[in-house]
Amino acid sequence: MTDHLKLHRDEGDEAITHGLRRIYAAPEGDSYWRGLEARILSRLAGAPTIDWWDELDRWMRPALAAAAVVLIAAGVAVVRSYQVEQESTYEAMLTPTTLPVETAVRPVLQEKRDATFRYLMTSR
Amino acid sequence: MTAAIALRPQFSLPLPMPVDAAKGPSERDHVIAAQKGSDEAFAALVRLHHRRAYAVARAIVLSHEDAEDAVQDGFLHAFRALDRFRSDQPFGAWLNRIVANAALDLVRRRKVRDADELPETVALPFRDPGESDELRRRLGESLTHLTDRQRAVIVLHDVEGYTHGEIGSMLGIPEGTARSDLHHARAALRRLLKDIRSD
Repeated sequence: MTDHLKLHRDEGDEAITHGLRRIYAAPEGDSYWRGLEARILSRLAGAPTIDWWDELDRWMRPALAAAAVVLIAAGVAVVRSYQVEQESTYEAMLTPTTLPVETAVRPVLQEKRDATFRYLMTSR
Repeated sequence: MTAAIALRPQFSLPLPMPVDAAKGPSERDHVIAAQKGSDEAFAALVRLHHRRAYAVARAIVLSHEDAEDAVQDGFLHAFRALDRFRSDQPFGAWLNRIVANAALDLVRRRKVRDADELPETVALPFRDPGESDELRRRLGESLTHLTDRQRAVIVLHDVEGYTHGEIGSMLGIPEGTARSDLHHARAALRRLLKDIRSD
């Protein structure tokens, strides 16, 4: 990996790298590092715990936004289904029935009428 | 509303451990013990990793003080997220990613805050104020011409010796991007320091 990059380096890069190492050299001395370690640990000790109310508060906004989206979607769905229902009812009222009238007449009645008619004709 | 259920027990300062105590349990043992709530074990992890963490942070931020802040932020985040860490992974790499993120976050916040007064040079180490040769001064100045990421990549690679893959993992960029950033950073520094280098 680094061989590929070394092809692009020249002698002057060594001077730059040397300069970078001097600029970015880590502090020396164990006392400094013990001090940093102590500061890290005291920072951990002094850090406030995350309580459930803070955690809840952190989730409050996204939860409210999600609830609002769900409510709007539910409202739209209800309105849409009401409209569809109304339209289908209206169309049903306008559509003529296709059932034949004859089927509503009972054959028995038809036979009675025929019999009455024949009686009248023959009784003259 | 002050009654609180802590998500993780609060850290309490452990008793000082002897320096050679780290030779006993392995890093993995410390991680597992820390995940079970041992503050001493986490303190041992701090002791094992704070120098490398500082180096990572220092490569990203512009000053020694910011590097210290980023290291402390990073360890605090790591402590809080320790339950989510898989102990079969290398702890150092995980921690370095967190510290790098803390450092990048600090750089972003500094940029927003100090938008009108950007430093003209990269801050030189506080411990060595007397040392100021021409190359060093010009190099500090030239580093401000690199992007934050290019500067971090060249320092992490050339000063700290991390591989492209490790740098990519730390900074959240592909390995090829780290390689490309390094190439461009070197080219920019060569160009900016051409007159000094030809002396």
